[in-house]
Amino acid sequence: MLNILVSIKQVPDTTNIRINPDTGTLIREGVPSIINPYDIVALSLAYQLKLRFKAKVTVITMGPPQAKNALKEAVEFGADRIILLCDRKFAGADTLATSYTLAEAIRFLQREELFDLFLFGKQAIDGDTAQVGPGVANRLGIPVITYVVKIENLDPIHRKIVVHRKTEKGIEVLEAPFPILLTCEKDLSPLPFVPLENILKAQRAEPETFNAEGPLSFQRDKLGLKGSPTQVKKVYTPELKRIGKIYNLDDVSLDDVVSKILDVLRERDLL
Amino acid sequence: MPLEKKGQPMGKYKYDVVIVGGGPAGLSAGIKLVEKGFKTLLIERGRFCGAKNLFGGIIYTSSIKEIVPEFPEVDNFPAERPVTEEGYFFISKDGVVKILHTKRDPKESYTALRAKFDAFLSDYAIKKGLDIAVKTRVLDLIWEANKVCGVIVDRPTSLEDKTPASIEAKVVVLAEGVNRVLTERAGLVDRTVEPSEVVLAVKEVLQLPKGEMEARLGLGENRGLAIELMGEVTLGLPGTGFLYTNKNTLSFGVGIFLNKLMDLNLKPYEILERAKALSYLRELFNGAETLEYGAHLIPEWGIKAFPKLFGNGVLVVGDAAGLVNPLFREGTNLAIYSGLMASEAIKFAFEKGDFTEKALKRYEELFKESYIYKDMLMIKDLKAILLSNSQLFQVYPELMYQICHLYFSAQGRAKRDVIREILAIIRRKRGLLGLVRDFLKLGRILW
Amino acid sequence: MKEVWVYIEQEEGKIHPVSFELLGVAQRLASDLSGRVSALLLGYKVEDIIDEIFAYGAEKIYYLDHQVLSYYRHIPYVKGASELAKKYKPEIFLIGATPLGRDLAGGVATHLETGLTADVTELSIDSETGQLLMTRPAYGGNIMATIVCPHHRPQMATVRPRIFPVPERKSSIKGELIRESVELHEDEAKVKRLAFIPKEKAVNLEYAEVIVAGGKGIGSKDGFSLLAELAKELKGELGASRLAVEAHWIGYEHQVGQTGKTVRPKVYLAFGISGAIQHRAGMQNSDFIVAVNTDPEAPIFQIANLGIVGDWKKVAEALLFAIRKERSTDG
Ligand SMILES: Cc1cc2nc3c(=O)[nH]c(=O)nc-3n(C[C@H](O)[C@H](O)[C@H](O)COP(=O)(O)OP(=O)(O)OC[C@H]3O[C@@H](n4cnc5c(N)ncnc54)[C@H](O)[C@@H]3O)c2cc1C
Ligand SMILES: Cc1cc2nc3c(=O)[nH]c(=O)nc-3n(C[C@H](O)[C@H](O)[C@H](O)COP(=O)(O)OP(=O)(O)OC[C@H]3O[C@@H](n4cnc5c(N)ncnc54)[C@H](O)[C@@H]3O)c2cc1C
Ligand SMILES: Nc1ncnc2c1ncn2[C@@H]1O[C@H](COP(=O)(O)O)[C@@H](O)[C@H]1O
Repeated sequence: MLNILVSIKQVPDTTNIRINPDTGTLIREGVPSIINPYDIVALSLAYQLKLRFKAKVTVITMGPPQAKNALKEAVEFGADRIILLCDRKFAGADTLATSYTLAEAIRFLQREELFDLFLFGKQAIDGDTAQVGPGVANRLGIPVITYVVKIENLDPIHRKIVVHRKTEKGIEVLEAPFPILLTCEKDLSPLPFVPLENILKAQRAEPETFNAEGPLSFQRDKLGLKGSPTQVKKVYTPELKRIGKIYNLDDVSLDDVVSKILDVLRERDLL
Repeated sequence: MPLEKKGQPMGKYKYDVVIVGGGPAGLSAGIKLVEKGFKTLLIERGRFCGAKNLFGGIIYTSSIKEIVPEFPEVDNFPAERPVTEEGYFFISKDGVVKILHTKRDPKESYTALRAKFDAFLSDYAIKKGLDIAVKTRVLDLIWEANKVCGVIVDRPTSLEDKTPASIEAKVVVLAEGVNRVLTERAGLVDRTVEPSEVVLAVKEVLQLPKGEMEARLGLGENRGLAIELMGEVTLGLPGTGFLYTNKNTLSFGVGIFLNKLMDLNLKPYEILERAKALSYLRELFNGAETLEYGAHLIPEWGIKAFPKLFGNGVLVVGDAAGLVNPLFREGTNLAIYSGLMASEAIKFAFEKGDFTEKALKRYEELFKESYIYKDMLMIKDLKAILLSNSQLFQVYPELMYQICHLYFSAQGRAKRDVIREILAIIRRKRGLLGLVRDFLKLGRILW
Repeated sequence: MKEVWVYIEQEEGKIHPVSFELLGVAQRLASDLSGRVSALLLGYKVEDIIDEIFAYGAEKIYYLDHQVLSYYRHIPYVKGASELAKKYKPEIFLIGATPLGRDLAGGVATHLETGLTADVTELSIDSETGQLLMTRPAYGGNIMATIVCPHHRPQMATVRPRIFPVPERKSSIKGELIRESVELHEDEAKVKRLAFIPKEKAVNLEYAEVIVAGGKGIGSKDGFSLLAELAKELKGELGASRLAVEAHWIGYEHQVGQTGKTVRPKVYLAFGISGAIQHRAGMQNSDFIVAVNTDPEAPIFQIANLGIVGDWKKVAEALLFAIRKERSTDG
């Protein structure tokens, strides 16, 4: 049986983000929380794999109590086990502290059962760092393939996988043995239309909750704000400042503006 | 005493009752049914209950207490501000005349946003034991002989079985809202809704710079306004506007009979934009940011065009039935009461072991005993009067402003002249006789 | 002496331009710290590019040459970079925020147990504390955050390509080359490359030098054929706003913005695009933005370097004509 772990994050829907102009802080009010879209891809892939192979799917997230809702939604995608890492002491974690906390929790789970496949999102749309996946892989000492766009082949018998990875110049076809951590790109998996059964199951699902006290022991100074080397010094709204000149065709001739554009192109060797 | 259906294999999904729609009507029916011990499934197509709904809106404590007795003392309080002042703003091109009433009991009603309120009710319902399937749409009813005995949804049955899931139920409660597709399928109405029977409401949630809402509307902390707007806000068309204060935002909207909009070929957002350009509203909303925008229909077909409220194995509640009282801005509470009555009728049907019209007629009987029926009867001619007397929306708000303007300004001339001028304006705009006639007409509705 | 490290991203001996851009900023940062710029080069038989790295401002190059590094793989590259960083303890370590760079940086920072700021668009030294101030967009570009890493070294950042200019090339300059060795084995790499499928040249918006983009204001599919001619003439690509894509005037692969592609061409020509924040998120880092719009209040003008209030079609036609004329007189 294939044993899959999916790591998901609940994020504010950044398309609705607004900033309080007086304080420069995020207005979270009325902004819905969603599962990070790339993590939805990871969940969708887990669902597809479950259809094709016998697979068990464990989903983990670290976040505030309401992150529970993200895990419930994961059950719609067929998650068999859901785990919430939730504690004040986890809060304020940067990617280093996040990957520490997740990796420790995964290690703890692996005392019971080893995972073959770890699925992460390419990046979370709130921070856009793309660092947590590679971070966890390094802490667990397993290989990682980022920006995966396709599973070419998965061989549960020989325990290996062939995937397509998107790079700037094209597609790399890579082969790797289990266990392996993949970070998922948009196109990796279509969104499934899950059965009613799963929807009903999700509604009553309750996650297992781990906190800083247990069931596993963390090194306190590696958690949350304390365990985060980076600090946010300042947050501000990018100002739109008029940087260029505006010409109105009512005032200047068409020839003038066209020659201005040509100058710009010429200066940059584009003509 | 649940009855086994004979000769057919047992379906995967079997419930005593299935409810279509997770608005206040469906949720309150659901809460009451599970309290009574019935295995009940509510199906909602939105991402969560409340996700697809737009709402003005005021919620009324007395009706909510029927389903959530501890309200308003609840965790995650789902409303915005208590309504401490209620009234009418008559808006003319030049300004506004306000009639405001300060309420005695601030806990009587609250301003609310549906996404939050419905989500609260659905959490409450799930805790009580209601099964809720979100993101799922009911496609059709399942019939056996002449009786509705379940629904078909758009989702596959299971991982193995890709066919659309069917769910068996003794009774199906249609709480599908104004877009009453299944109510038609159930044969409870014989025609589709006409544009003259619905009001199109467009609504925005607006946010003013910090502290401005309170300053501009003279609001203290934990005080709230619920205002009906008349006159130019609807471009003088039959309909009203509304303005409610939420915690940090304003709900502002306009509702106009759909046929009038179609006649004039107006787009929903144009109405709002034009209304917001009126001097009073322009000042009020100056610097505001629009956070949300939406449009929704309000059923105002009234009791004369009511659907049949029950059929074999099926009941209709809330907006789908047309249960709104536009004159008194009641909708959610009627939805809730209808849900309660439906649950009573279903209990009765289970006691009888009969799910046909014969037993479910109980719902209509309960309805006819309720105050809702009396109110709906009272306003049965309202729509016709409003639609055929547009002067009510054009002349009076303007008239009121002009009169107040003269009355409240010391113009350095004899007051008798001022009064004469006022009478002249009335005569010119409507005629004294017309005035009397209009008041009689409206009066007849109320008495 | 404090060192500012730049990771030299190379594939098959070709240096990614972002590495030169980083050598440029690194010089500024190093001089503020009275330190020096050093480059970290990992690869297999890539000596050829060493002079190039000196020419763009590296004073020192740490070069790790190994067969296992013949193409990029996470485990050996992370190991090589981490071991050398542990040995030489740079003050600052900059890596391009390319797919390869981000993949590498996440691993290296974890091994060094230090902070890593992603996708930085502004870098400076705080004159009081000497700390590196790393500024980056967050929440889809809706806010900017300045991040510091006060107690851990190196201070690491991945830096967006095309934000900083490529510094001047000074071919005469030579610095110190330090050949390093780290024990690496093929089997530790775990991942094996079976094949490489180069990108088809179809739509290559991200790396286009010129983008001719159209929005709702173009009004029709036909309008886009005019823009296509212009794009072809400039050897550029066609871009579009979401509304233009939704109107089916052009394919989705051309969409620029938050839900489309992020582009940084040398010149972005925006015709009939209002410049909603979601669109700007994908193109505001263009080197030069030309906007044509009938509405003088359109937000696109707030980020345009050259704005023209007027009908897009007139401008596009005149521009096409002028370019063709110039071409014919040239040749
Ligand atoms: C702008 C506006 C302002 C209002 N202001 C007030 C006010 O201040 N006070 C007040 O009391 N009332 C107000 N109302 C009226 C009130 O909102 C409604 O009367 C009330 O919400 C009706 O509840 P309901 O449950 O019947 O229908 P709805 O709330 O419309 O719920 C129906 C639900 O069914 C779901 N559904 C429909 N078909 C299907 C299907 N086939 N499968 C699955 N799900 C389906 C829909 O997604 C929806 O969630 C206002 C209405 C509007 C539009
Ligand atoms: C979640 C989300 C994600 C989104 N993602 C993206 C995205 O990735 N990319 C994107 O582009 N949008 C995105 N959008 C949509 C975005 O908000 C805007 O709606 C969209 O960018 C507007 O496209 P537009 O500028 O072409 O159209 P409009 O806003 O309609 O602007 C058209 C402009 O053309 C001008 N115009 C009209 N006629 C002429 C003429 N003859 N000559 C010159 N100018 C003329 C008008 O003055 C106007 O400014 C997203 C929105 C959401 C909510
Ligand atoms: N708090 C978290 N809990 C679980 N998974 C996370 C968390 N943060 C990030 N991840 C995972 O790491 C991926 C990359 O996130 P990031 O590095 O923050 O861009 C996400 O798509 C998730 O799969």
